[in-house]
This record gives sequence, structure tokens and C-alpha cells, in this order.
Amino acid sequence: MREVAFGQYYPGNSFLHKCDPRSKILFLIVYIVAVLLCQNFYALGGCAAVFLLIAICSKIPFKLLLRSVKAVLFLFLFMTILNLLFTEGQTILWKWNFITITQEGVYFSIFLSARFFLLVLSSSLLTLTTTPISLADGIESLLSPLKLVHFPVHALALIMSIALRFIPILTDETGKIMNAQKARGADFETGGLIQRVKSVLPVLFPLLISALRRAQELGDAMEARCYSGSQVRTKYKKLTFTWRDLVAFVVAVLLLTGIILLRVYTPSVL
Amino acid sequence: MEVIKFENVYYSYDRETVEQEELFDLHDSFALRGVDFSVKEGEFVAILGHNGSGKSTLARLVNGLLSPTSGKITVFGMDACERRNLFEIRKQVGIVFQNPDNQTVASIVEDDIAFGPENIGIEREEIGRRIEFALRSVGMEDFRNGTPNRLSGGQKQRIAIAGVLALKPRVMILDESTAMLDPRGRKEVMEVVKRLNREEKITVILITHFPEEALLADRAVVMHQGKIVLEGAPKEVFQKQDILERFSLVTPRPVRLCRALTKGGLPVADSMDPMEVAVGISNAIERVEPSQILQTKGAGLRSRTNTKENSETGGVLCQDLSHVYNIKSPFETQALEGVNLEINSGEFFGIIGHTGSGKSTFVQYLNGLLKVPSAEKKYKEKKSKKGLLPKPILKVNGFDLTDKHTDFRNLRSKVGMVFQYPEYQLFAETVWEDVAFGLKNFRPESTPLEVKEAVKEAIQTVGLSYEEVKGRSPFELSGGQRRRVAIAGVLVTKPEILVLDEPAAGLDPLGKEEIMSLLHKIHNDWCKTIIIVSHDMDEIVENCTRAAVFSEGKVLVTGTPEEVFSQAELLYEKGLDIPFVAKVCAQLRAKGIEISCDLTLEDFTEKLFDFAKNKGAGMRLRSEGGQNHA
Repeated sequence: MREVAFGQYYPGNSFLHKCDPRSKILFLIVYIVAVLLCQNFYALGGCAAVFLLIAICSKIPFKLLLRSVKAVLFLFLFMTILNLLFTEGQTILWKWNFITITQEGVYFSIFLSARFFLLVLSSSLLTLTTTPISLADGIESLLSPLKLVHFPVHALALIMSIALRFIPILTDETGKIMNAQKARGADFETGGLIQRVKSVLPVLFPLLISALRRAQELGDAMEARCYSGSQVRTKYKKLTFTWRDLVAFVVAVLLLTGIILLRVYTPSVL
Repeated sequence: MEVIKFENVYYSYDRETVEQEELFDLHDSFALRGVDFSVKEGEFVAILGHNGSGKSTLARLVNGLLSPTSGKITVFGMDACERRNLFEIRKQVGIVFQNPDNQTVASIVEDDIAFGPENIGIEREEIGRRIEFALRSVGMEDFRNGTPNRLSGGQKQRIAIAGVLALKPRVMILDESTAMLDPRGRKEVMEVVKRLNREEKITVILITHFPEEALLADRAVVMHQGKIVLEGAPKEVFQKQDILERFSLVTPRPVRLCRALTKGGLPVADSMDPMEVAVGISNAIERVEPSQILQTKGAGLRSRTNTKENSETGGVLCQDLSHVYNIKSPFETQALEGVNLEINSGEFFGIIGHTGSGKSTFVQYLNGLLKVPSAEKKYKEKKSKKGLLPKPILKVNGFDLTDKHTDFRNLRSKVGMVFQYPEYQLFAETVWEDVAFGLKNFRPESTPLEVKEAVKEAIQTVGLSYEEVKGRSPFELSGGQRRRVAIAGVLVTKPEILVLDEPAAGLDPLGKEEIMSLLHKIHNDWCKTIIIVSHDMDEIVENCTRAAVFSEGKVLVTGTPEEVFSQAELLYEKGLDIPFVAKVCAQLRAKGIEISCDLTLEDFTEKLFDFAKNKGAGMRLRSEGGQNHA
């Protein structure tokens, strides 16, 4: 059987893996805010140090972390070059025709790149150490106050859970259908845009039908197991905070205060 | 006490659905036509019937997934037509469905089992206890935190059963829950069901195609065209061969064997147990005078197609083939490990193995869906280090699949591949277009007339009427017809080798027989070589000239069915079964009756008659000689 490697999750048993998903999500939010509040390289250096500490705690191979940057590398370079070229400043380092590179521009583009880099890395650290399922659990739990305004949090959670359950199944099925059509001479790799869009139809159509059939059967199975969507449901799984989450909380508070203090007392490069 | 009672129940699918169901051979729109049926507390009832006989409708009516057009259904004294009773009824009556993938809602086993109890508002601690109870009942305690995706089909179905058990139902309905499983999975599930019925006193309604499973029940009910046509103890029901055949059901193979022997003059009582059959046979041989044997020819059972002439094309040669999925990742799995296999031109070859044994991976190599590294476009020859795997050899139909210059498109048009459940790959608006798809891809230069002729021939070969189906949507057809259309879509390029992965999976016994005889027809008229992947041992024995057993990525045994199944110990050790006739042969051997045959029913009966005529006489002589001596 082919194992579908799904999501980014990297199995492990580290401090970070064992943290409650809610505190990881909240920590990431705090961290993003902190990075965005940074005004100069001292503050950013602080954020980077915290990130390094967490990354080491997670025991995720560094190569794997860098892979997540690869995906956005183009955007990253584009942004850096744009900033390099179009930031105005007094100290001109190099000039050719309409292209001017200033010292401020160099600082600014390095600063923004570093910021961007940290945001991407820290987000991928979350998905690398948390299974999609516990992420969904965490989101559900964090959204639960919305129940008060009659937001269907439970239905949303169930949708997430079923989606996660069926993504590998449908991925597998896509592979099977593609193979079957390839065996009948379908070609997915060559041809122009229209040709390629056309060649996807023999895969898309059976896949859609299969998904609908599965949905119908799943609906029956859920109904047969007393699901009606409206009644008072209990919840078996409860997330519980541990000492790890306390540590995360303390680090988050320290980080945020530190950054705010730096913002007040050190000059900005912006 | 009667827990379920149907009184004169009629059910009709609404207009919209009728159009889809029409092709299930229903002449009017009624799926149930006057069913009277009841089940007692603690009973184990099996419901049999061909596809479209109304048995699944019956199951869905019991717990209100459908409600009857007319008639009365009472479940635990509650009227199942009243909406307000449904919740209570569903707590008491659980259903396990056919597809193991489409019943679980969560990606972690315990979360999924908790789903039912959560729905009825059970307290947290109690849910924990119920999960433990349910998992223990199905023997899956170790998988509590696992994910269903990595389980086998049988394990997934056991999880589905656990999910139903957690609601503490008193009745459990299994709606063809074993139809999509391999023999090992089927056995696992049936053992669980049997135990639940005996130990937990759960009433079981088992809807099935498999006679072996129905035999475990206290009572068997046969349905045909929405009516109950036969009822009784399973053993007795299966003895009514003529009636069963009238209702499009197939007599189980063991019973057919006993019948053929009795007809030929060796009276053997009908039985499904190889031990009993063997005892019956040896007793009959003892008793019957050789002159009483009427027949020396088998009783009209189909025999295997013989190997055709050898030629250049149509063969497969494979050496040292290995394959690893997700290489260098945490999910790395070795699917093939040094496979050596030779398939000759003209063979009807069988590949046997469990899910995960590597057989499906292997067949994907045969038409280049998976490629040997050296056949990849980007491949550059690397200096091989010492101790590296030997370079694989893979030749199919005269093509060298280890060479990157091979014309893979041409190969694919010569080596046809029919995947599991091929009907799910149909996509076009009409049957005609779907069948023509492959031809248009492989030979875009062919004229419309050529295409038309080829499509017509392919559709007719699979036993469908060209004029009738060509303009219809494939989705209007019945399951069996759709499968035929899918096979036609592969045949249309006239492949020399046809590979089929589980061609009969999910069909009822009659459908299975029809597909297998279709394959023989194709073997005679169209393709030189046919390779089928199957886990039905009887299917292999009855149809294949040679077979190979795959296990853990390696070829365990290769040879004629007789050679393969003589290694019973080895096969049992790998969790594989052997065919019924092979079991009877082994039992007979233990009694000193040595029959060597190719293990088809026909050949076996023939050899037995010969034995009874000749050696049977010899045995008697010996025993008489002994008496004289005394």
C-alpha cells in the first residue's frame, strides 16, 4: 500500500510536539505580532534568538525547516529586489541609469527579508510539530466562545475532521484514476494549456462522482450512528494545559514585553 | 421475543431514484414488494440475494434511513415509520456498511468510536469506558490512537463495528460488510460477528453474497425481486440447488462438488466442510461397487483453458525487481524486494497475495506506470558501488522496460491494464466515447470508420449490445454492465497482454462467474496472455494455467495451481487460504486416498471416479485378503 505523506507533520516526541495545540497557535499569533512590532535589528535579533531556541527544542532537522522557505523563495527574492531598488534615501551607494541603490534601501530590504523569513519559518514550525487533527481540535477549542453568538463551531470542527480524514483517501484515489487513464493512453505532461486542461477532465469527472458517492454513504453511516446535528452533543476529547503550556505562556509574555520595550527605547531603521 | 417485525412492507424509490435503479433489473419501481419478516432476540439471520433483490433496502428500512411506502415495521415495539422513534431505534439497531473507507468520520480511531456516544450525549468517562469495551470486543485495543488510513480493510471494518458497538445496540446489521475485503479480512470480521452474537447476545442480521458466511447463521432468508422467496436453516437452503439457481444465486462450490459426485454414482451428502466431504467420499468409495460408477467424465463443470502456442510477444520476464515507496522519508516502505517471475505467452496467469503484498505494485510495472530507474528520462548511469542491488531485468511483450528509449506509449497500447473497480474510472458522456478514449489517445491517426469498427467490436466482445448501449451514459448502467464497458475501453486497442487487478471484486457470485467466462472468451479471441490479480483461491484454481504467490514484496511460489496449493503449510503461514478442492484432497490423502489432479472441480470429480473404479477395487481386495488370512 502506498502511504500518502500528508501535511507537513514530522513525527517526534519533543517539548514542542507535546505542547497543547491551542497554546502553540496562540504563541504563534503572539510571535507574529512581536515580529511585526520590531523596528530595528536588535528587536529582530531577539525574535530570531527565540525562534532558534524553539527550533532546537523541536528537534526538527534544519534542512526540513528550510524546505518551507523554498516554496516562497520566488516571492521572497522579488520582494527583496523591489525594496532594494525603490527605497529612497540619502546615502547613494551605486547608480546606473534610473537604478539607484541607497544604504537605507540595503538596510530596509535586509530587515524586511529577515522579518519575512522568521514569519514563514515559525508558521511552518507549527505545522511540522502539530498533526492536522490536533490543529483542528485546537482551532475548534479556541473558537468555542463563538457558540454564544450561535456560530456552528461544532459543525465546523466536524467538517474539518471529515476533510482531514478524506484528503488522503481522495489523494490516493486521484492517483489510481490517473494511472487508469494513463494506461488508456492519457497524457498529462505535454501539450499547451488548453490541451492540459482537457486532459484533466477524465480524472476530475470520476473523482467528483466518487466524492459524491462517498459523501452519500458517509451521510448514511453518520445518520445510522445517531447523528442529527441539532441535539446536545457531548465531547469525548478535552484538551488540557500542562506545565509546558505555562512555559510557552511565560516565554510569549517575556517576548512581547521585550519587543515593546525595545520599540520604545531604541531607534527605528524604518 | 420479536425485535424486528415487517408486515406486508412495500418500498418504492422516488421517481428520481427510480431512473438510476431501473437497470437493476426491476421491472417496476418497487424495491420491496410485500415483505413479511421477523427477527427474534439473539438470533443470527443471514439474508441472501443477488444485486438489486432488495436486501439493502430492507436493512435501511429497519433503522429509518428509508421509510416504507406502505406496510408496517416495528422495531422493539416502536413504529419505525414515526420520525420521533428514529433516534431511539438507531440506538438499538446499528448498521455496518460495505465500504470500510466511507464510514469513519475521524482520523484517529478512538475519536471515531466516540462519535456515536457523543451524538447521544453520553458522559465523558462513560465514553472512555465504551471505547475500551468496543475495541476489546473487536480485538483492536492496540490501535486506539492509530489512524484508520494505515489499517487493512478488515481492520477498518472492525473499527466500523466498534463504532456501532459503542452505542450498545441490541441488533447489528451488516450490509455486505465483507464484500470489499480479502479472505483474511473477511475471516477477521466474521469471527468478531460470531463472537458478538454468542457472547454479547447481540442479534445479527447479515446481508451477504458468501455462502460460507451465511452458514454461520441460525436462519437464512433468500430474497428475489423484492420478495422473500426461501427461508430456513442455511444448510437446507443451500441444498435447494434448482430453486437457488432460479433466483440467480449460485450454489456454493462444495455443494456442487457433492452433487456432481452423487450424480456420477458416488453418493456424498451435501456439506460445506472439507473434512465432512472427505469422510463422505472415502465412505462412498468403500461402499460403492465399481460397476455402479456411472460417469467417468466430470458433471459439466467448466475446466481451464489450455495454454496456447508460445510466441515472441505476450510474455513477461522479470528479474531482481525492487520498489520502495516514499524513499528517504519517515513513511518509507519496501513494496517489492527482488521479484523474479516469468510469464509465458498464451498463459492465463494468476497472481495471489494479500493487500500490501506488492502484487498491485508489480502489475503497475508491467505497462510502465511505474518505471525502473534506468528507464526514467532524467536517468544518468551512476557507477554502482559494491553490494548494490543487481540491475533489474524487465521485459514485457518484447519491450525492454529498463531502457529509457523504449516507446512506452506503444507498450501501453499492447499491454492493457484493468484496475480494481474499473467502473469508477468511466467519465465520458456516452459509452461510445468512453470506449473510444484509449484508441483516440494511442492512435490519433485512425480514421473515424476504423474507430467505429474497433469500438463496436470491443463493446460486443464484452457481451453488451452495441446499438443499445453506445449512446447511453455509462452512469445509467448497472454495476456489472459498467465494469464491462470499462474492460471494453481497455480492449479497444487490441492489447496482446491483458492485466486485470481483482476483476471480480465486489460482484455477486453470478456476476463473478460471468466476468470469468468473459475473460476466457477474451483469452480465446483477443489477447494472447491474461494476467489476473486475485485473492479468491477458487477463482485461481478454476481459471489459471499457472499462478504466483506474492508475500511481503517477494514471490513465494510459482507453478501450476496444483504445485502452488500443494504447499498448504507455507500458504497458511502467510495467512493465505487454499481452495476447497485442495483441502478435500489433503484430507483424502490423510485417509490414504491419493488423488493427483489440477484441482478444478471437473478434473477432481473425474479423477475420483477413476479412482473409485480402479483403486477402490484394489482396496477392497486388500481388505478381503486380510479377512481370508484371519
